[in-house]
Amino acid sequence: MYSPDDENPNRPPVHTEALTKVFYDEDRGEVRAVDSVDISCGRGEIFGLLGANGAGKTTTLRMLSTILRPTAGRAWVMGHEVRAAPEEVRRNLGFYSASTALYPKITPRETLRFFARVNGFPRDRVEGRVEELIRRFRIEEYADTRVERLSSGMKQKVSIARTVVHDPPVLIFDEPTVALDVLNAIELREFISELRDEGKAILFSTHIMSEAEQLCDRIGIIHRGAILATGTLEELREKTGLHYLEEIFVRFAHVGAPEEAVRENIRG
Amino acid sequence: MDLHQIGTLYAHEVRSALRERSIVVFSILIPLVMYPALLWVAFSGISFIQGQAERITTRVALVDLPAAHSPLADSLMENSRLTLVEWDESTEGSRAALVDGRLDALVEFLPPDPEAGSLPDNFRVRISYSEVRDRSRTARRLLTSSLDQYREEWLDRERAGMGVGATEWADYAVVREDIATSEENTRFLLGTMVPFLTLIIVALAAFYPAIDATAGERERSTWETLLSSAARRGDVATAKYLYVATFGTVGGLLNLGALALALHWIIRPLAGSDADDFAGGALPLEAIPLIVAGTALLALFVAAGMLAFSIFARNFKEGQSMISPFYMLIFLPALFVQSPDVEFTPRIAMIPLVNVAVLLREAIMGSVPLVPGLLTLLTMGVCVAVAIALVQWVMRNEDVLLGATDGGLLSYLRRRIRNGASRAR
Repeated sequence: MYSPDDENPNRPPVHTEALTKVFYDEDRGEVRAVDSVDISCGRGEIFGLLGANGAGKTTTLRMLSTILRPTAGRAWVMGHEVRAAPEEVRRNLGFYSASTALYPKITPRETLRFFARVNGFPRDRVEGRVEELIRRFRIEEYADTRVERLSSGMKQKVSIARTVVHDPPVLIFDEPTVALDVLNAIELREFISELRDEGKAILFSTHIMSEAEQLCDRIGIIHRGAILATGTLEELREKTGLHYLEEIFVRFAHVGAPEEAVRENIRG
Repeated sequence: MDLHQIGTLYAHEVRSALRERSIVVFSILIPLVMYPALLWVAFSGISFIQGQAERITTRVALVDLPAAHSPLADSLMENSRLTLVEWDESTEGSRAALVDGRLDALVEFLPPDPEAGSLPDNFRVRISYSEVRDRSRTARRLLTSSLDQYREEWLDRERAGMGVGATEWADYAVVREDIATSEENTRFLLGTMVPFLTLIIVALAAFYPAIDATAGERERSTWETLLSSAARRGDVATAKYLYVATFGTVGGLLNLGALALALHWIIRPLAGSDADDFAGGALPLEAIPLIVAGTALLALFVAAGMLAFSIFARNFKEGQSMISPFYMLIFLPALFVQSPDVEFTPRIAMIPLVNVAVLLREAIMGSVPLVPGLLTLLTMGVCVAVAIALVQWVMRNEDVLLGATDGGLLSYLRRRIRNGASRAR
């Protein structure tokens, strides 16, 4: 599994090459959920994966976080290949999604302590880091209250603190605002911007166009498992001659089959 | 394998579980309280029923009592629990009365057998009663006892009248002597009871933690949180396994401790004249480490088996239904120890679960043969290793990990075999 190419120092923190995931479904047979995806994300950058529900965003991010194993292709996180060194990948990565809930029976302080340790944060610095995050996220008042008794806003703060507790250089946010109210969503987006300013490489998936417009430095439009276009908002506008991201997305998603031709036209 | 990591994950599992009410109740409180409470209820119930039975008065009719034996009627009347009633109904009428409870026993005096007729005034007795009625059974028991005593006394008088000495009269005598001490009898009783109870409690104590550690994670949506951490899958599986095994062991030992206290503090006072059978020191001290080891072995096996089944469950309900067949299955071997004829042979020592159940029984009885004991350790060690390997192998499958498979362990194995076969073709 190891390749000398794994040690390429010029590779961005997140990089994929022809990343593919095929599921086998008893009724439908082989389902190509992600098809030859090439993306990358540099330090201090937010890369947005924009796609409709079922486009392959979550599967791509799950492969990057090593929860799923790619069927083909390769992906690196901080130089570690996802299949060859999954533990190293996860140590360098914080993963946040609607399906990464908190343990209800333990307190925020215990949660942060546990995930710092389990993610390999230096043991002698765990307590200091936990206290730092408790202050930063202003969760002092309920730091010792069980998670099950917290409001959803409080839980969200703890959950973000949990994601960054081991200070990973790469962060993945999979549709993070999907279950949040407006205020909490704004607060979360502000925090993600702060993390970018700190130099983190951030992958952010969403199906909300305005969110991608506001937050992402570069955007990859994913549809039926394939990346149809990548670039900054300006670059996408230039390619399509359209102004709003929603229009751009619809154009890419609705240009007729075959998909290869669509991809060629758009890239060309 | 990273021991620090396993320790962190294990401590986290245990801390969460100890704050979960259902786990604490079913894995700790019930083992601690249920069997002592059940024993107390059972003994109180038995004592109450025995007390009620002691006060039962029965109605008895004597038919065709020979005049020479009229003292028999007098001696029966001396027994306050027997009431002699006048009776002149037909055979059919008497049978109907025995069935509907108007009469509890009918004693008919019949002519003796021709060979026995040489003894003057000899007779035969037929006692009619109904085995399905308590009062009727009691009447039969009281009558048999009184008749036996009367017969002995009458024969003694006849023998004396014929000038035959007591020694020449008794051709042989059977003397029974139980050489087992009351302590040994108690150990025998405990030896048949404790392995069965231990298995039940170990399984019960591991049941909810096994579901909590797998289906519970999925139901709470914490599974992906854990899987996206830097912990190795194998370390996660090991920590979860140790957590379930710990609860099984602790539950089992708490139950045994509670049972010992219950025998000493609750059952012994209730046992009255049989109190010595429940002597506190009935359990040999050297058996205690073996009992602890046996309980831990059971828990290690049960935990691995339960995790192998529950890993496929997507929620608590599925977890319960997937584990239940395994839960029922593991009680079968415990029935072996109910028979004292099952010896602790090397062959028995190679049957998982049965071997530990018999080992516990032998430990309580005071001696465990070395070779079967070691074989038991070896067999259970192999079984546990296979079960853990199975859990880890299953956990490598991402569909199982993410709860995307339909069915349980057996369906999964069937699918794997079928896919393997089609690939080979």
